[in-house]
Amino acid sequence: MTDVETAIKNGEAHLKTMISTIKHSVSYDETAYHLPISFALTGIAVHDQQTAREVFEKTGSNTLVALECILAEKTAAEGRLSSPFTGFIDDTVIRKLGYSLVDSSILGLALVLGKPPGPDSASAICRELQEKYMLTFLAGDVVTSLSGAGVKLGLEYRLVPLGPTPSYGIHFVDIIARVAMMFGGVTPGDIQRLLTYAKERAKAIVIVYPGLTDEEIAFVDGMRVLGFPILSLGDYQGSTWISTTPDTVVRRGMDEKGIRVHVTAIPIPMGCSPAFEGKSIRKEEMYVEFGGGRSPAFELLQMGPADEVQDGQVTVIGPEIDAMEEGRAYPLAIMVKVAGKMMKKDYEPILERRIHNFVNYGEGSWHVAQRDIIWVRISKEVVAKGVKIEHLGKLLAGKFRMDFPQLLDAVSVTLITDEAQVLEAKKEAEHVYEERDARIKDMRDSEVSTYYSCTLCQTFAPNHVCIITPERPALCGAISWLDGKIAYEISPSGANQPVEKGRVINALNGEFEGVNKFVKKASHGEIDRCSLYSVMEYPMTCCGCFECIALMLPEVNGIMIVHREFKGITPSGMTFSTLAGTIGGGAQTPGFAGISKNYILSDRFLQGEGGIERLVWMPSALKEELRTRLSKKLTDQDKPDLFEKIADETVATTIEDLIGYLDRVKHPALAMKPLV
Amino acid sequence: MGYDLHFGWTGTIGRVILGATRAEGGTRKTSYCIGGGTTLPFLEPDPLSKAPLVALEICDDSEFWSPIIRNYCGDLVNNVGAWANTAETVYGADLVRLYLTSTRLRNFSDIASIGKTIESVLRSTALPLIIEGSNEPRIDSEVFQMCGETAQGERILLGTAEADRYRSIAAAALAYNHSLIAQSPIDVNLAKQLNILVREIGVQRDHIVIDPYTGALGYGFEYSYSAMERIRFSALKGDADLSMPMISSAIDSLAIKEVREAEPSLQDDMAVRWEFYTGLAAAVAGAEIICVRHPKTVAMLKNAFDSMRNGAGFQGVKQDGTQGA
Repeated sequence: MTDVETAIKNGEAHLKTMISTIKHSVSYDETAYHLPISFALTGIAVHDQQTAREVFEKTGSNTLVALECILAEKTAAEGRLSSPFTGFIDDTVIRKLGYSLVDSSILGLALVLGKPPGPDSASAICRELQEKYMLTFLAGDVVTSLSGAGVKLGLEYRLVPLGPTPSYGIHFVDIIARVAMMFGGVTPGDIQRLLTYAKERAKAIVIVYPGLTDEEIAFVDGMRVLGFPILSLGDYQGSTWISTTPDTVVRRGMDEKGIRVHVTAIPIPMGCSPAFEGKSIRKEEMYVEFGGGRSPAFELLQMGPADEVQDGQVTVIGPEIDAMEEGRAYPLAIMVKVAGKMMKKDYEPILERRIHNFVNYGEGSWHVAQRDIIWVRISKEVVAKGVKIEHLGKLLAGKFRMDFPQLLDAVSVTLITDEAQVLEAKKEAEHVYEERDARIKDMRDSEVSTYYSCTLCQTFAPNHVCIITPERPALCGAISWLDGKIAYEISPSGANQPVEKGRVINALNGEFEGVNKFVKKASHGEIDRCSLYSVMEYPMTCCGCFECIALMLPEVNGIMIVHREFKGITPSGMTFSTLAGTIGGGAQTPGFAGISKNYILSDRFLQGEGGIERLVWMPSALKEELRTRLSKKLTDQDKPDLFEKIADETVATTIEDLIGYLDRVKHPALAMKPLV
Repeated sequence: MGYDLHFGWTGTIGRVILGATRAEGGTRKTSYCIGGGTTLPFLEPDPLSKAPLVALEICDDSEFWSPIIRNYCGDLVNNVGAWANTAETVYGADLVRLYLTSTRLRNFSDIASIGKTIESVLRSTALPLIIEGSNEPRIDSEVFQMCGETAQGERILLGTAEADRYRSIAAAALAYNHSLIAQSPIDVNLAKQLNILVREIGVQRDHIVIDPYTGALGYGFEYSYSAMERIRFSALKGDADLSMPMISSAIDSLAIKEVREAEPSLQDDMAVRWEFYTGLAAAVAGAEIICVRHPKTVAMLKNAFDSMRNGAGFQGVKQDGTQGA
């Protein structure tokens, strides 16, 4: 075992002596940056012993500077290294390399130093680095070890052999110093900016095998100030180097620097695109189905510790599709595990809802509902193309990584088709759902101080602003409060911004000082006031994407709702599309509000008007869609008969019919405080 | 006059330099500095304010170009160097905008050929260039690298960055000191967001030109006009992330029904008129580079801009610096 601290002390002392022995000129060709590390740190162009010493002293005897000067003298004296070694790399190459870093065709840089125990160790690590789009530099015995194992080296293979000893690893630092000056706007001599750039922008990691000299250890340790994680593979102790193993070193290093591989294609034998989202798979087109009341099925997404979630791993437990009989229903558990530095437990249910979209993105896979009431079908057409249960997992793992690149570092999927095991896992899942419900029940508008805005629709409704609260999703139904929060965290300059709700102006109507202020600004001065829970007074503006329209019917002292899919006439005398044309475009129209379907189930819905008892009419299809959840909610509120009292088009399409019906069923709205 | 032509605005449109002369390290005969405006277009009280620039769009594979232009220009469209030269010497354009349409061929991979094309255009014209790289994310990285490198020193304007596709263009702009076009779909907020994204990657504000996207007159142009106007207002009110100059290219003008279905003898005329009025309106909305494809539109626009700046309608300033009527 090498004691790193002792080695550093010895190494530093030795480097100090060596720098005082520089006699000849020190310089590199084909660069405008002199000795780049020294130049970036101090702005001084080192060319001889005097300037070399000056910089060395000025930087507090920096080991990187020392090694740079020593190696430059050696290079100037001995000329370029012979093949395969590159030695110092020209500016023109660095410019291209910087380009690849900026445009993300290279995700990061790695330096591998020292003497690997055998040929396989280094080649496995380098292969992994190549697969993860890292550009790897090599110095020392690792080069011979790799070429001995038949690994191809060179810039085109993203494996660059810098030199025969670990000291040549110093070029790794001069490359980063030049990239900082070329691309990062770092002025030579601005040491603070250089360090910030190296720490925050340069995605660089260092992997150290045993066999380094004291000077080399001192140099490697010197890179810590640049924020590069030093990952040691044995033989080093007593330091802040990260001790790791060949199997985990790449992942650990990439995690340390937050380097993520972006998924761009999903390798499954069927199309996968939002274009397929709207399709359905009818019974006669279906090969097999899961859930939907025909067999036990559920889905669950949970976060796990980073070292337990193997990215891209898909496991199928139980029979695969080729062991399933056509036309039948089978049990299914879809269990997604995710890991990511920014991932929070709160995000689980939000991400879990995406399973629905993603499965529907599949050309021949179809999904409805959620949790333990899911219903999934796979079409005959794609089964014939070779789609298996496993591919649903691949689709999910890929799509999650693609759509949440900042949030998720790893996604694995387990699919269970064995009945006993599905039932067993379902029990666990139900505990999780209960816990979540308890937590979401706590998520009240009154318990958070920040709501989120959405101005995505300002493209065509320039002054429209959605305010999204835990209890009021965006009117399009596509963005919940947590979605807004995640979107803001992922893209702080995006369309979802935090809104401090501020002082309460009217608790019943949901009017807040901070919200008004935000809406005023974001609506470009058009809208002064916005009440979140009222249809009648200062309702939220509407873009055009609302799932439903809620509007007042003065004749019955109530509110009706019509959803986008309903084509018929409503008791208001207007169809959805006529109504939509009347209230959209970013206007605030008292008596009308654009809302999402889920908002109907919220306790805040119609709060300003006296609550859900105001609801007098909605299309039967919408009623059916909400039946389970809404009638449960009404029963819980001790209004078990209200659901049936809400009229639909089968009992009333005109206001006269509606009055008659509401009278007959004694709808509570009739007796409420007048709306106008 | 009695009017405050600044309406209380305090902001200035940022400046962007296009092209580099020999003295500036390039080979262009001139370089332009666009931006710098302090009020609405054509109201600038500054006698030094410049007319919008007119760019002629050309391409290196005319298969992907409007048949109207192919007919009008004849064989010229098959020689991109000669086309660029004619744009300067005959058509009188201020800029040449080169579309690398050859990259649109399926499975295109001959990246070196792009370098040759750019070199030939640089040799054939001394005007500053706008270069449009690939349309295909798969080859973006290589194409923009080649564009940036080949035109190093020339301070070209590189297009076109979009919200989900800007890294390669930004990298080429950064690596070789060019500027870039940031295009968003007719939306002031998205334009701002993209500018922020591009800036976060390291591209400075004075290297960004906004393209708010332009539909043809009668085909959605009013949305573009409104977006441009709002971007200009925001800039003048001091929003630094929207204070870049704008470029407009109503490429659909040549493909709309009125032009497509015009009688053959009138087709050129119709195409030119449509380009002209769309371009003129875009300039009034605040675009400082107007791109057109029909050679005849170039002179018409330049004349119009001159007369608007020197005409009698507004008590402006003549080019020689004396007060107008």
